[in-house]
Amino acid sequence: MAIKPFAHGNAVTVAEAVEALSASCRPLAGGTDLLAMMKADLTAPESLVNLKTIPELHEIGVVPDAETTKGLRIGAMVTLSQLAAHPAVQGRQELGRGSLTRSSMAVLHQAILRTASPQLRHMATLGGNLLQEPRCWYYRNELIPCWRKGGRLCYAYRGENKRHVILGGGPCYAVHPSDPAVALLAMDASLRIVGPAGERTMSLAEFYHPPDRETRTVTHLAIDELITEIRVPAPQAGTRGVYVKVAERAAWDFALAAVAIQAVMEGDTIRSCRVALGGVATIPWRASQVEEVLMGQASSPAPLSTAVIDRAVEAVVEDIRPLEHNGYKADLLQGVLREALDQLR
Amino acid sequence: MITKTAEHTVIGTRPPRADAFEKVVGKAVFGPDVNLPRMAYGRILRSPHAHARIVRIDPTRAEALDGVYAVATAADLPEAADRTERVGEGNVNYKYMRDNTFAGDKVLYHGHPIAAVAARTLQIAEQALELIDVEYELLDPVLDVRQAMAADAPLLHEGMHTRSLAGTADTPSNVASQFQFLQGDPEQGFAQADVVVERAFETAMVHQGYIEPHAATAAWDADGTLTVYTTTQGAFDIRSQVHELLGYPLSKIIVVPTEVGGAFGGKNVGYVEVPAAVLARKSGRPVRVVMTREEVFLASGPSSGTWMRVKMGATREGRITAAEVELCYEAGAYPGSPVGAGANCILAGYDIPNARLDGYDVVVNKPRVGAYRAPGATQSTFAGEAVIDELAEKLGLDPVEFRLRNIATNGMPRLNGGFHEHIAAREVMEAVRDHPHYNAPLERGTGILRRGRGVGLAYWGNWGARSSVTLEVNADGTVSMLMGSVDITGTRTSIAMQAAETLGLSLAHINPAMGNTQTSGYSDASGGSRTTMATGVAAVKAAEEVIAKMHERAAAIWVCEPEQVAYTNIGPDAGTFTCSRNDETMTFAEVAAKLGGTGGALRGQGDVNVRRWGGAFGANIADVEVDIETGSVRLLRFTAVQNVGKAIRPGQVEGQLRGGATQGIGWGLYEGYAYDGQGHMLNANFLDYKLPTALDVPAIETEILEIPWPEHPFGVRGVGETPIVGPPAAIANAVYDAIGVRQGFLPMTPARILESMGII
Repeated sequence: MAIKPFAHGNAVTVAEAVEALSASCRPLAGGTDLLAMMKADLTAPESLVNLKTIPELHEIGVVPDAETTKGLRIGAMVTLSQLAAHPAVQGRQELGRGSLTRSSMAVLHQAILRTASPQLRHMATLGGNLLQEPRCWYYRNELIPCWRKGGRLCYAYRGENKRHVILGGGPCYAVHPSDPAVALLAMDASLRIVGPAGERTMSLAEFYHPPDRETRTVTHLAIDELITEIRVPAPQAGTRGVYVKVAERAAWDFALAAVAIQAVMEGDTIRSCRVALGGVATIPWRASQVEEVLMGQASSPAPLSTAVIDRAVEAVVEDIRPLEHNGYKADLLQGVLREALDQLR
Repeated sequence: MITKTAEHTVIGTRPPRADAFEKVVGKAVFGPDVNLPRMAYGRILRSPHAHARIVRIDPTRAEALDGVYAVATAADLPEAADRTERVGEGNVNYKYMRDNTFAGDKVLYHGHPIAAVAARTLQIAEQALELIDVEYELLDPVLDVRQAMAADAPLLHEGMHTRSLAGTADTPSNVASQFQFLQGDPEQGFAQADVVVERAFETAMVHQGYIEPHAATAAWDADGTLTVYTTTQGAFDIRSQVHELLGYPLSKIIVVPTEVGGAFGGKNVGYVEVPAAVLARKSGRPVRVVMTREEVFLASGPSSGTWMRVKMGATREGRITAAEVELCYEAGAYPGSPVGAGANCILAGYDIPNARLDGYDVVVNKPRVGAYRAPGATQSTFAGEAVIDELAEKLGLDPVEFRLRNIATNGMPRLNGGFHEHIAAREVMEAVRDHPHYNAPLERGTGILRRGRGVGLAYWGNWGARSSVTLEVNADGTVSMLMGSVDITGTRTSIAMQAAETLGLSLAHINPAMGNTQTSGYSDASGGSRTTMATGVAAVKAAEEVIAKMHERAAAIWVCEPEQVAYTNIGPDAGTFTCSRNDETMTFAEVAAKLGGTGGALRGQGDVNVRRWGGAFGANIADVEVDIETGSVRLLRFTAVQNVGKAIRPGQVEGQLRGGATQGIGWGLYEGYAYDGQGHMLNANFLDYKLPTALDVPAIETEILEIPWPEHPFGVRGVGETPIVGPPAAIANAVYDAIGVRQGFLPMTPARILESMGII
């Protein structure tokens, strides 16, 4: 389809952009999803406010946070390519107090490199990536009035659902498409959000919520708010991270199942860890039952014991409710978790 | 007349492609790039339903919209002849083609065109589509080939009765036709067998995945000449289609082929040319119609989804005794699946004394299939080669050794009633046996990652048919070349090389160009792997005519008899005339300089209809790594071997082997149409319809065999299609070797692999 005519304006400041936002005026970041949605006539905003022209949103850097340790602050308009090339994300720049290795940011670095394709990563921004619309093929088909788009039914529920939700589904069963969001959830990242009433900070864990009868969206971002910054806390000494994803092809594909683990080792023991799952739920999914299994276990340099891995792999599928055609995703999820735990050592 | 005896000096070299620079700098004009003054934009209204009766179409509101120039429907087309003709690599019935251009009383698939609009802008055209009122009476769709064959299945064509050699059936059916090949006594053959293997296979409908969508621009002159610029494999085929559907004289239609951004068989049949022509006539403006990617998936000509069954028996000594094959191919909405070609190619490389094959061409509520690179062969070869592999395993024989014990040889009768000639199947299998890849050790793995190796033997019959080449000699000794074949594979270069070799000139002397239906002689479509072969024959013929005529001109200059003039074309840029009367010599350019004074323009014309051509065997070796926890298959190493007869431009041939293998890898592991229960296609985009990416395909090793086809001046057989045939089979056999489970489905996605292992 030809894109419907729309007005386009460049914002120079965040305040200017926020002032323009409404249901009919949407923010344009990298455009890799929004423009495709517009071409498919799935959304038809009257105007777009371009965020590329706001200098502060492109900044990325190591800045002091409240506790005087260092963290990474990533402007929402930083592209995935820029982020993957940043020395801090590549583990070449000092970020915190302790001894840092490449593995402290590895979970994010790996997740970005498994996202989309190099061409898309050059255009796509981190802020936009966190706010992608689902790739569910019923949602993306303009002929099908699915629940998420305001209709009455989820067509995937009893339809072709091999790529759909196995954890916490309903009323929508479309998986969240982001890889970086899963890594950032494991890293306990937070978002700086600016709206007409000023700014607020929200953890990524709070930011996403599964859709319910009341709301058909998956975030707490209001229509006139912008994510301006993604904040990643400084990794503590002994941090190790890993992101493992399985998809049908090696690039330019969304996760059928993915797992992000960020663990802090003390000696050879896992002192704390956060485990997040991708490709299996309507939002990036925290797997706290897996975290409980792993906490306090000896891991490095020897691998986790088979018994612990088996318990973790059991725990990760405790709550699953597969649909007719996606039961195999439970196996994929167990497979990626096993591989991630193997790499964590 | 002119026989090359010494080493070639042009053929077998690797010059740059004639079209390379224009394409690299982005200046080449592809179908969607055509732009004419006053041009209007055309869009097509498509059915949202897979199966429905059209009760009413009312374009009144659309016609009234400001900026709309014309609306077209089936009512604008004359009745078409109920006649079937060969188009490119397949057959079309013009009555069905008319209904597939604009639906008549029924829509038969999601995306079926109903009407078209030309407007000042694309946006207005799309707005107008929404104002065309169509009332539907919904019917149950049938999407699966076996369900469509059932007696109680919803009928797509109420008047269609199965045709076979036995006649036409009494009751209507979705089975358009069926046929049987029979050789020897299959029952007796199975009785002699010590080992019998029988399996069923299914493959998904797949698309060629060309990057350039279908695009046509039509313009009418004041005198009634219709010019259509389009991206196609065959300008003359498109002209025939426009002629038939518009009932307009061939001489008044000019089809100009543009550069082609990928076709792979899918651009033999036109989809947007006739709508563009009708809209242009009604609006009095040139009209361009370009499909979107979604439209290309929904409503062009993908390849058949299939259900197949293969049963084979062999003796303890490793000799095949019998085969029984059932091939059920989806034709899509109208008859014409490539099941016949699938039948011609399955097990073509083996000596099978007793066999029966039943083929069924079945309509379903999906787009009407088209040709896709070796149409029909990739599906049936996947099935045949899996059973061959399993027989070898059951007999405890190396899979290559088992194939060699049963390999077909020259003169052997074929299942389809023909005979093999100069086939070199054995040489291909021996090349696999001796290949470093096949003999390299493979670390098999015992943990999560299991590795395996598989082979597949592939065959495609190739094609000859009509080609036309004109060579005009210029006063400076250069030669302008015009060919009627569309260049989809570097044809300008490979044909100019054959002309240069024959003329004894360097390639730089020849400037090749594609003609159109007004400027060049009739040429069949660039398909069936025929172009380098048949258009090459035409080029050699044209070059020989040039040399013969130049003998006369040289004789006129020397004032001698033409018989006293000799020409040599042996050696680099050797073209030289000598006179036996005076022992003088003149170069090609020196004779060319005097053409004006010796009779005027000099051109050689090669018009051929090549009726004998040689098929090509190829084979693949695949090493895979299967993650048994996730079902992911990774290709570790991949080799393509093929007998091409003669590689005119080896770099291009290697490219064909790699490109075909890459598409075959796509069929094997990633690609397939997905539909919901109502027949809506769910993955009509490149994100959800997954072509392999650069990270999915390893560096493909190629080995070119040159066992010539004796009836081509340089031995060319044809290259382009055989390379896609074997890869899914080789990968499936490698997956089996890795995990010990046979694969019955294409594509072999992680879910399919896990399912086959009984994990889910």
